[in-house]
Amino acid sequence: MRKIFKIAQREYIETVKTKTFILSILITPAIVGIVLVLVNRLSRDISGPRPAKKVVVADLSRELGDEIKGAFDEYNASRPERQILLEELQVDEDSEEITKEKVRKGQLDGYVVLEEDCVEGQGKIRSYTCGTKIAELDLISNVENLLNSAVFNRRCELRDVSQELLTELRELRRRVPVERVDIGSASEEKRIKAGQEAVEIFVPFFFMILMFTGIFGMGQHMLTSVIEEKSSRVMEVLLSAVSPFELMTGKILGLAGISLTVMSLWGITACVSAYYGAAHWWGINIDIPLEILPYFGIYFVLGFLLFSSLLAGIGSICNTIKEAQSLMMPISMMFVVPMVLWFYLVQHPDEMLARVLSFVPPLTPMIMVLRLASSEHLSFLEIFASIVLLALSVPAVMWVAAKVFRTGILMYGKRPGLWEVLRWLKQG
Amino acid sequence: MEAISLEQVCKSFGEVRAVDELSVRVPEGSIYGFLGPNGAGKTTTIRMIMNIIRPDSGRISIFGDGTFELVKRRIGYMPEERGLYRKMSVGKALAYFGAIKGVKASELSSRVPWWLEQVGLADWADKKVEELSRGMHQKLQFAVTAINDPELVILDEPFAGLDPVNQDLMKDIIGQMRDDGKTIIFSTHVMHEAEQLCDFILLINKGKLILDGSLEQIRSQQRSGVVVAELEGETNFIESLPMVTAVQRQGRRLEITLAEGADPQQLLRIAVERARVQSFEVKVPSLHEIFVKLVGKDDAKDF
Repeated sequence: MRKIFKIAQREYIETVKTKTFILSILITPAIVGIVLVLVNRLSRDISGPRPAKKVVVADLSRELGDEIKGAFDEYNASRPERQILLEELQVDEDSEEITKEKVRKGQLDGYVVLEEDCVEGQGKIRSYTCGTKIAELDLISNVENLLNSAVFNRRCELRDVSQELLTELRELRRRVPVERVDIGSASEEKRIKAGQEAVEIFVPFFFMILMFTGIFGMGQHMLTSVIEEKSSRVMEVLLSAVSPFELMTGKILGLAGISLTVMSLWGITACVSAYYGAAHWWGINIDIPLEILPYFGIYFVLGFLLFSSLLAGIGSICNTIKEAQSLMMPISMMFVVPMVLWFYLVQHPDEMLARVLSFVPPLTPMIMVLRLASSEHLSFLEIFASIVLLALSVPAVMWVAAKVFRTGILMYGKRPGLWEVLRWLKQG
Repeated sequence: MEAISLEQVCKSFGEVRAVDELSVRVPEGSIYGFLGPNGAGKTTTIRMIMNIIRPDSGRISIFGDGTFELVKRRIGYMPEERGLYRKMSVGKALAYFGAIKGVKASELSSRVPWWLEQVGLADWADKKVEELSRGMHQKLQFAVTAINDPELVILDEPFAGLDPVNQDLMKDIIGQMRDDGKTIIFSTHVMHEAEQLCDFILLINKGKLILDGSLEQIRSQQRSGVVVAELEGETNFIESLPMVTAVQRQGRRLEITLAEGADPQQLLRIAVERARVQSFEVKVPSLHEIFVKLVGKDDAKDF
């Protein structure tokens, strides 16, 4: 037992130390983090304080001057931290080129021309900006809104609409506030803010990806480790100290440690960003179904044992990573199924397809976690049956893998074919 | 008591009989050399002793025990193909193998530096294994083999790839281990290595046992029947003696080949009577000569 632990310990430390491992586990949370920070920056730019912007407006109709000034003043009065300053109100296009040059040099943030017959005719508002940043896109649309309300006011004025009526009209056009409620869970009705549904559909997907990473994503390290021991001929020395079974068990345990490390790193990152990030920045509460964690644990342990022993077996009969990769193809192909179907399965977690796939042992962990996270009506019997089937298949796979491993690790030269491997199973 | 006993062990790879009905008993506390040309079956025999491959038939027992797993921790094994974790540091690699061989952590902290000192790698403890030269790598491999203080040390071609200085270092350590009462088996295809070190010799060719016994025993059994003598006076009578089949002369030095079953003592008595004997030596055959005599020149050309 102490030997197995020692092997696991070495396996863990030597893998965790490698640069590829550190990069591979940091890169995903890093990308997610960068995206979140960028989105946050972007949204803060849209609503937070920023230095005053300067624009020049040319009113070719020559009749909107007061309205335009009034609209800008009203806007700036209510937003002291996001001022839009009307640098100059021109009445013709004589200084068009000079003004555009100023925009190009960055002395101005925008130049907007109201065409002559824009009040009654088909005249346009033409906006000129230079190298607009995404975060400033709202500047021009705000200016355009201001000019539009100036035109609206002018039109009302021309028709003798009274100020009182105007105020009343504005009041009448007020939007009705919306509140969406999910009544799926009868006890705690949860309010859904805009965007929440879109985010929540990714929660089951995330659980599935986490399971995938946990049971299979770290398999590359198992292959590398077994093949390195074979190619560096360290195997015979190892086998003079430990039995093949101890070696395989130690490797599986070490890999389990690595998987748990990665899963907890990613899981914690994801929970933190979901709880704090989403709530803080987007104002939505993502409901993480933490109650499925015990099931997640069971499926993880079984799925992990299944795949890591399978990979140990595959690694043992290969001499190079390249050889191993061709054997990995069918296994990787299997994982395409949940990856392609997840969107459908999340929306139909209780239908026949989802049920059938839950009873294909290699797929059980991923499919079941996906279903558990997206449906609240899974019968306990179904969960239990899927666990039993998976649990029965694990010792069978481990038995085969251990047999193959015992013979395979000392085979050099040509990779044995399927028939030869089957012969080992019969012999052993 | 025997450290190892093999009884009628056979192993075939496909059509090739790698080991054919081999029986050996290795007494405790001895150095036993497994000799033979390349492909003789030395490594296969050692791998079967180490339970890495299983014999097709026959019985192998170590320390009187047929279950390998029970005696495993009392054995140190250095395989023919050397290999250690390339990315680990020298000290850590040695400590790791010590740990999985069941050496306690408290003992390892003193044993690892001691062994690194023994094989002259003390300054390299923090370097990575991949930085070592071939010879240093092999010495580290030897330290790995010996780190668990095994009672039985099995070395497959331990001197291959070492320079003469390091070969002597290894021979000294092996000699020391024998003096400490350990049993050592090593395979080699270089005869003089075996002659320097071994108490017992097993000679195999094409999987079959050719010779087995103590070095002295083998040499006296396989006497070449050649006497080298320096005689003064008239020596022509030698050729006419019935016990002599051939004489080669190099000045006064005569190389006399005796007939089958003839006693060199008889020759000496006759020589003393008839001439003045300056020197008289019954030539002891080298292992090489014995091997050539037993298996023929073709099989022996690798030596």
